[in-house]
Amino acid sequence: MNATNNNPIIAVKDLTIRFGGHAAVDQVSLEVMPFTLKSIIGPNGAGKTTFFNLLSGQYKPTGGKVFLKGKDITNLSAPMRCRLGLGRSFQLTNIFPLLTVLENVRLAIQARKGYGFNFWRHYLHFSACEDEAYQILKEVLLDEKWLYPANLLTHGEQRKLEMAILMALKPEILFLDEPTAGMSQEEVPAILEILERIKSMGDKTILLVEHKMDMIMNLSDSIAVLQDGRLIADSDPETIYRSKEVQEAYLGGGAKRE
Amino acid sequence: MLRREQRKKRYYSIGFVLPCLVLALFVLIPFLGPSYKTLDLALKIIIFASLVASFDIMLGYTGILSFGHGMFFGIGAYCVAFLNGKYGDPTYFHLFLGLLLAVAVACVLALIVSLISLRVKAIFFAMITLALAELTIVLANKLSHFTGGEDGISISLPGIFSAAFSPGSFLGLDISGRVITYYFILLACLGLFALMLRFTHSPLGRVLQAIRDNTDRAEALGYKTFYFQTLSIVLGCTVAAMTGGLYAMWVGYVNPESTLEVMAIMLNVLLMVIIGGMGTLYGGIVGAAFLLITQTFLPDLQKLAIDLFPNASLLHTILERWLLLFGILFILVVIFFPKGVVGSAREFIARARGEAFFSS
Ligand SMILES: Nc1ncnc2c1ncn2[C@@H]1O[C@H](COP(=O)(O)OP(=O)(O)OP(=O)(O)O)[C@@H](O)[C@H]1O
Ligand SMILES: [Mg+2]
Repeated sequence: MNATNNNPIIAVKDLTIRFGGHAAVDQVSLEVMPFTLKSIIGPNGAGKTTFFNLLSGQYKPTGGKVFLKGKDITNLSAPMRCRLGLGRSFQLTNIFPLLTVLENVRLAIQARKGYGFNFWRHYLHFSACEDEAYQILKEVLLDEKWLYPANLLTHGEQRKLEMAILMALKPEILFLDEPTAGMSQEEVPAILEILERIKSMGDKTILLVEHKMDMIMNLSDSIAVLQDGRLIADSDPETIYRSKEVQEAYLGGGAKRE
Repeated sequence: MLRREQRKKRYYSIGFVLPCLVLALFVLIPFLGPSYKTLDLALKIIIFASLVASFDIMLGYTGILSFGHGMFFGIGAYCVAFLNGKYGDPTYFHLFLGLLLAVAVACVLALIVSLISLRVKAIFFAMITLALAELTIVLANKLSHFTGGEDGISISLPGIFSAAFSPGSFLGLDISGRVITYYFILLACLGLFALMLRFTHSPLGRVLQAIRDNTDRAEALGYKTFYFQTLSIVLGCTVAAMTGGLYAMWVGYVNPESTLEVMAIMLNVLLMVIIGGMGTLYGGIVGAAFLLITQTFLPDLQKLAIDLFPNASLLHTILERWLLLFGILFILVVIFFPKGVVGSAREFIARARGEAFFSS
């Protein structure tokens, strides 16, 4: 880790993407400091997920640049960015439905360890991958279901699996897109606990999209607010909480949401 | 650790014993003194099982649909034919060179097609292979001074493989060039199968399944899916060309109709992989056996029925449409074995053992 605490680990300059005429992310510039947790909030359709897709490489921007530790990564593909330490969890559960729960996590570990192109040994020879995968499943309380095909898990369990896959990648920077989306009230604390644990270790940078305000206020070091693709505020939680502009945007969005 | 032992045990149980039994059967068949028809059938099952397995690597494991598999099969057959019929004397060296050429041409062609099409979209691969396959048939027919046109090329095999070779008998089995060729091809296909099994059970093979399941997620894990898809295609197509070369060795004759008819061969391969079960490799054996045996014996059944019931004209009309019968049989298999025979059987065994689910 060569980023010092004074240089942003991620910097975004005038990032823009247009779908047809509609700019889903519009001239957004912001910086993320290493080892902090930054939340991105905004009403539905504000462009939060699209913003993540631009950062993790799923989409190519129509304009602007993305920097990782000062290096321009705008033209790197998603797999390349993943290898550089950008891990991503998805708002809409994004797992391997026909593979087992264990295999879902094992594949992430295998990717991190770079065994992917080995074609001459049986995959079970790499037992360290399996054992580590099982360990991670324990952490997210999914170990009993290790042999289930992932598509037979409940929605909440699939969200946990999504987290487990992300943890298995051991990324330096985590992009979490509504990790508790669609979860029942009882299941949320488990995810919250994982998040707090990752944060308390202090060696990760986290970008979090969430709608649960209390959760955001508790966890965030800074908060950025998106509305209609534009960045309307980026500051510490207190200031954001007090800001009239943000409240209006959010109330407006909240009303639309109903 | 315990889990790993459990999994290993399962890997070495039925899934291991049953293929060994099947292999033993194929080894013993020549000793059972079969008619030429039966030996021919057995060998075609072996070859098509390998061909179907190579198709399964692409479709069942990686989720890539190719319409050019028959073409690669045909290319392999023609490569062997060129060097052992038209442009070369039958020597071991030419035979070896023919098979090597089959591998090389298939490798290069598969690589080019993947590079062109995969960058765009995986479905583009299906379209390009279809077009290429049609083009190859036209070429094989039109460039007749080169390919022998519709008449094709006859192949003669060297030394111990030639039909005239007969050194005597062994354990009551008349050793002949045919029998030696049979065992040679069996051994070669065994090698191909072992290669494909190792490939699919390697870390790389597991990534292929991940790509089939969810390509975007595989990318987000850091896998450059393009390279993996390309590797899968190259392996699948190369094995297909090898089986084509072996097939040409056996039938001693190639022409566009028997080895290049894309639709006929592709349809057969597709049916076999569906019957046997996608993503199982072994399904190829079941599918090939089922299809080839019914295709061979349904006409006999028809004759038998006419002899037994000379007056039941309705029965005759039904049996005359033996393809219809085959269609019904096929539908029944699909209904009762939705995951193919092997896939469904595996699931059944896992259930019987009290495991809630079968894991691939
Ligand atoms: N691939 C796409 N093609 C066209 N339009 C898109 C695409 N992806 C996103 N959009 C549009 O971009 C806008 C922002 O969508 P996005 O999913 O980023 O919002 P969001 O802030 O994540 O909302 P939510 O809170 O509901 O998750 C929406 O209007 C959406 O329709
Ligand atoms: Mg979103």
